[in-house]
Amino acid sequence: MTDSDTDTATGTASTADLLVREGDIAGDYLERLLDIADVDGDIDMDVEGDRAIVAIVGEGLDALVGPNGATLDALQELTRLAVVQQTGVRSRLMLDIGGWRAKRKADLTEVGNRAAARCLESGEAISLAPMTPFERKIVHDAIAAIDGVESESEGVEPERRVVVLPVGND
Amino acid sequence: MLENALEHLVRGIVDNPDDVTVDLVTNRRGRTLEVRVNPDDLGKVIGRNGRTAKALRTVVAALGGRGVRVDVVDTDEVR
Repeated sequence: MTDSDTDTATGTASTADLLVREGDIAGDYLERLLDIADVDGDIDMDVEGDRAIVAIVGEGLDALVGPNGATLDALQELTRLAVVQQTGVRSRLMLDIGGWRAKRKADLTEVGNRAAARCLESGEAISLAPMTPFERKIVHDAIAAIDGVESESEGVEPERRVVVLPVGND
Repeated sequence: MLENALEHLVRGIVDNPDDVTVDLVTNRRGRTLEVRVNPDDLGKVIGRNGRTAKALRTVVAALGGRGVRVDVVDTDEVR
């Protein structure tokens, strides 16, 4: 605590350490919950970029995902709070359960790819269904990888949606 | 099981985990999980716009507590 103002290398190292520690705290919190609730599941911990990723993997975890991932989001929220309680630092930790977020990401990439194909074929703007910021980011990333189309977000939350446009036709 | 799960979830997010108790109360209105925490931790358990309390209710429902109420009891009100 006395020498927090050292060089950037130390800063980077301590960020990585912090993310590992976030994963450990989150893993303990969730593992104990699974024990109490008598739910089978293993906990995987990882660091991706600047955030800790914690995944509960196994079969029969649908109840913990909930409709549209609502229970997963609630558990992620509580897990972040448990992390902050111990580290004192705001957490962007991502929780996945039963591969739901990974599958959702693949599905949304496919939605982006299809919309781009339709847009290229018709030459017209394609407006997609409302999505959360996290979901829109995945679609934008998918569209950015395709030549001839671009995307932007329109509307006000929670009705904000991705619009796919042909390049140079606005 | 629900009491223990909820107690664990709450203990992890407060400054005074030893002060957390959860009781399952059954009355005419059905089953209620009554959560009591140190008055200093009340804000943490409720969260901004009740966001944390809502997350706790969502998880309890998913663990088999559908129809079970979750009440955060303000012990300061008891005289």
